[in-house]
Formats: sequence, C-alpha cells, structure tokens
Amino acid sequence: MSKRQQGKSAAKVVRKQLAAERRRKRTMWVSIAAVAVLVIAGLIGWGVYQSQRSDAGPLVAPASATTTTGITQGNGPVQVQLYEDFLCPHCKDFEATSGSAITDLVNDGKIKVTYNTVAYLDPASTTEYSTRSAAAAACASDGGKFKEYHDALYAQQPAEGSAGLSNSQLIAIGTGMGLDQGSFGQCIDSGRYKPWVASITDAAAAAGVTGTPTVKVNNQVIPNPTPEAIVAAVNAA
Amino acid sequence: MSVTTLTSGVTWPGLRPWLGTLVRLGLAAVWLFAGAAKVGDLAGSGRAVNAYQVMPFEVAKVIGAALPFVEIALGVLLVVGLATRAAAAISSALLLVFIAGISSAWARGLSIDCGCFGSGGQLAAGQSPSYAPEIARDIGFLVLAAFLLVWPRTRLSIDRWLESTT
Repeated sequence: MSKRQQGKSAAKVVRKQLAAERRRKRTMWVSIAAVAVLVIAGLIGWGVYQSQRSDAGPLVAPASATTTTGITQGNGPVQVQLYEDFLCPHCKDFEATSGSAITDLVNDGKIKVTYNTVAYLDPASTTEYSTRSAAAAACASDGGKFKEYHDALYAQQPAEGSAGLSNSQLIAIGTGMGLDQGSFGQCIDSGRYKPWVASITDAAAAAGVTGTPTVKVNNQVIPNPTPEAIVAAVNAA
Repeated sequence: MSVTTLTSGVTWPGLRPWLGTLVRLGLAAVWLFAGAAKVGDLAGSGRAVNAYQVMPFEVAKVIGAALPFVEIALGVLLVVGLATRAAAAISSALLLVFIAGISSAWARGLSIDCGCFGSGGQLAAGQSPSYAPEIARDIGFLVLAAFLLVWPRTRLSIDRWLESTT
C-alpha cells in the first residue's frame, strides 16, 4: 500500500468515527427528547384530571350526609356502610334480596345505615349515569325522599352500556313522589351534587372499596352479604 | 458478486427492518388502545391502580391520571418511529411493572380485573379473575418490545429518515 493510499484510508477511518460519534449523539438527544415527551404527557394527564375536578363546581353535601360519606338513615348503635352504584346489576340483586332486611334493622333501631352511592361505573353508560343518578338521589334526600327515590332507581335500573335515564326522566320519578318540580328539577339540572358524588366515590376508593356492592358492618366487610349474614353480623357487633 | 442475495431473494437482514415496522406498529396499537380506553375516565383509572393495593390512594390517583397519557404518547412515538429504542425500553419496563403487579395481585389472592384496557377494580361476586391470560398477553407484548430493543432500525420510521440526513 502506498503512503498516499494509507493516508486516504486513515482519513476514511476518521470520517467514519466522526459520523459514528454524530449518530451516537443524535440518538442520545432524540432519546432524551422522547423521555421528556413521555414525562410531559404524564403531567398533562395529571393536570387534566385536576381541572376536571375543579371545573365540577363547589362541593356541598346533601341532607343527612357529609362531604365524604353517603346519606345516613336510622339512629341505631351499629354502623352499616353500603357501597352501591345505581347502574350496577349486582347492586340491584343485592337490594332485591337484602334491602328489606336492612330497612327492618333501621326500623328496629338496631343500626344506622349509610348509603354510599358511588359512581364507579361512569364509563359503563354513555351519559355518566352513575354520577347523574347518585346526584339525583342526593337531591331527593334534600326533599326527604331519599330511600323511596333510591328504591325507585333500582326498580327502573337501565342496562349497562345504555344512555341510562335522562335528567327529565330522573326529575319525573321525583315529582311522581311529590318532590317539588322547581327545586328538585333545578337541583338535578344544575348538577349541584355531582362534586359530592365524586367526593364520596374517592373516599370509598381510599377506604379500599374496589367494587360494588360492598357491605361493611362496624367497618368489617361482609364477604357474602345475604340478609342472614348481615343480621348475624349486626347482632354480633 | 453478491450471489447469495440474488439467489435467495429474501434474506433476514433484508426482511428484518420490514418485520420491525410491523412489530413497531403492533406495539403502538397496543399502547394507543390501552391509553384511549382509560383516558375518558381518569378517576376510574386511579381506582383501578388503587385496586392493586400497592400504594396509597393519593399516589394511585396520580399514576392513574398520568398513565393513559403516557401510553398514548408511547403509541405515537412508535407509530412515527421516533426514538424507537428508547420507546421500546420504556415499553419493556412498563410491561414488566404490569406483569409484576398482576402477579402480586394473584399471589395475594385479590379478586380484581387488571384494568389494562379500561374498567378495572374488583370483580363482582361469582366472577373469577383471569390473571394467567392477562400475564400471557403482557408477555406477548413484551416480546414485541424486546424485538425493537434489539433491532430498533425499522422501515418507514423517522429514525431512519434522520439517519439518512447525516
């Protein structure tokens, strides 16, 4: 190989090395940019979630409830917590088999029961029926008709995946029980208790409730909440 | 000269970048579907994370809200073929976390839906969890990610276009 040829190939090697170095640098920067894009995407997600929460309006609790717990009925010494979603078919089954046992325990002065009407199934309807129905039941509580309205919603439960009952249907159910068309209708149409539904739903998740229906007696989950199991747990408490 | 390529026609080095494109688009579809299924219910996504009971609810809410957006961004990077190796590495890491989470839920006897493509949370009474198929599916996705981690150069990608401009 001549000196000239040697020089040429050395230059070629150097050029190759420089090109490789450029490629390495570019890959590094592109990778860093990609990671930054992913981090920003995550931050956007958190921001969107926060703004969804604050856009919903002020958090006010309906009658017989607090800002983090559902509507409570009865004055008995034992605390029963129910976690139900108005769209959940198993909650309808639970109400059909165990609902009257719980009402009897309330009437006998044995328990106070809290109906945590959570909205776990909002994606299972096309109109966030879980939130709308729970907020409507809260409006009914202000009119003193919570339990009646609650039972009516289970009796007329729409199918999962459907649009659910419309707001005017929800209002009609209430006025049919004697709730005031004006104030009850305004309460539903303005979405007054939607932030409250979101708040008790969050509180339920934070308390480790991952599905509906969940029944707790003095904070102990009843794994298979038959009427007998609930009465036995209340008597044992 | 190159007798081999002439006679065999289709070779592994020739085929691999095209196969890589298919793999890349497949993995992109997985992330885009997973993210899109959850993005409409960020609160529910947080509850699905919380159902694994491995972190406080406050942390689970942050993860649940951020994850769908990260998944969609990963999907977009893979669709256009930008930073393919980095996207494949992060995909692998995420999938390993998911597999670990599902395995741990299984080991602790929790009865939850993985929430991988929306829904999630506890299963109703009488429904049994399907942890094995969920893990098998995630391992399948992990194979796609591993392919791109090893061979990130694919056809029809921005990476390749950037390469050609230098």
